[in-house]
Amino acid sequence: MVKEVERAGIPVVHICTVTPISMTVGANRIVPAIAIPHPLGNPALDKDEEKEIRRKIVEKALDALTTEVDGQTIFD
Amino acid sequence: MRLEMGHIYIKDIQFAAESKIEDGILYVSEEAVKAVALEDEKIKSVSFDIAKPGESVRITPVKDVIEPRVKVEGRGGIFPGVIAKVDTVGEGKTYALKGMAVVTAGKIVGFQEGIIDMTGPGADYTPFSKTLNLVMVCEPVDGIKPHDYEKAVRFAGFRVAVYLGELARELTPDETKVYETCTIKEGMEKYPDLPRVAYVQMLQSQGLLHDTYVYGVDAKKIVPTILSPTEVMDGAIVSGNCVSACDKNPTYVHLNNPVVHDMFEQHGKTINFVCQIITNENVYLADKQRSSDWTAKLCKMLDLDGVIVSQEGFGNPDTDLIMNCKKIEAEGVKTVIITDEYAGRDGKSQSLADSDPAADAVVTGGNANQVIILPKLDKVIGTLDYVTKIAGASEETLREDGSLEVELQVLTGATNETGFNKLSAR
Repeated sequence: MVKEVERAGIPVVHICTVTPISMTVGANRIVPAIAIPHPLGNPALDKDEEKEIRRKIVEKALDALTTEVDGQTIFD
Repeated sequence: MRLEMGHIYIKDIQFAAESKIEDGILYVSEEAVKAVALEDEKIKSVSFDIAKPGESVRITPVKDVIEPRVKVEGRGGIFPGVIAKVDTVGEGKTYALKGMAVVTAGKIVGFQEGIIDMTGPGADYTPFSKTLNLVMVCEPVDGIKPHDYEKAVRFAGFRVAVYLGELARELTPDETKVYETCTIKEGMEKYPDLPRVAYVQMLQSQGLLHDTYVYGVDAKKIVPTILSPTEVMDGAIVSGNCVSACDKNPTYVHLNNPVVHDMFEQHGKTINFVCQIITNENVYLADKQRSSDWTAKLCKMLDLDGVIVSQEGFGNPDTDLIMNCKKIEAEGVKTVIITDEYAGRDGKSQSLADSDPAADAVVTGGNANQVIILPKLDKVIGTLDYVTKIAGASEETLREDGSLEVELQVLTGATNETGFNKLSAR
């Protein structure tokens, strides 16, 4: 899906836990997620802490979307 | 380490007033094994049944399959850190009841339990259609949480297997095999011209009831380490898995790991079997990176020439497999990887979630998505209530004539990634 959407001329950020797979499939902008069972959150944290990490991931993804890249890039 | 394995062949299982093994027949006191299973207050009731090869019997949902064993000489006991006290196992003398298994089944723990058919096309695909099976169906107490139920069934199976193994303590084995590995220095001196080869075993450790235990330690909390390959024969590694049935390793497979046995077969002839390296398949990327780094580091430090890597399960562990392969190859150590495939029902999709040119020697356990029709059988041990819910089944699984349309995925051990089954591809 990442590749097809980009083929249509729209930049994509792939938020995923297993970044090596994202590299293999050819995503250009990759933002690491938390863990496979809970990519965008962490049930071990309380709600405020969790909201904070969720916001950080989304903001990082938005930044990545507007950043020029020269080849596949992981935004750690 | 030197371990002598005594094989006691079981030709039949019968219920009787007293538990004993006589002339290759295992007599089981139902009352005694029930008492052993019910030692855990989380199990409300348990029923035992016997399923023999060729009978029109379907066992489902299957959780684990276990081979009864007893430690007769040497340190420790069977299933150290789980049933026996923690002590290093893998040397001395151990007896195993061959040709039979304890099968744990129950309402359902996770949605990823298996089916064992004792006859018909399904029987061709599960290795456990060939064993005499003592099946225990455990019912939990009301209101129990799934992870507590899983643990209760897991331990009940081990207790019963150990109870049955004890019956063999004073017997004379029908056959004895000796497995011996050298220390690092001994091996170098004894086999200077043979390639140094190890077995890298990846253990399912994704959590949420996808777990394996090493000497009682949850495998997601280990860092890669080395074992003498005889340790697994005494139950150093056990399954706590409720994951797709076809390619998880039941405890029986850990005890009888074919990679370990085949490498011992070649030890001192074509290879120097240095050791077994165990690693995990965790769900955090940092864990995947750390574990594959360490596995490659151990291969390098042990001056290995080659390794065989086996995977357990599928999906994101495909990445662990490829990371291990890439990093070990980068250290100049040759790899052969054993996996299975999820290539779609038509076999045309990509088989693994990840790949790399370094993975140029691959053995497959077959395509888990392949569809099979399992005819209605006369008897069900367990329940068919969940048969449309297990991984590899669907709402359309149960057909009007009572047969099941399923993927091979549902059959316990069908695409095993240690070569325990016969399925493969060229």
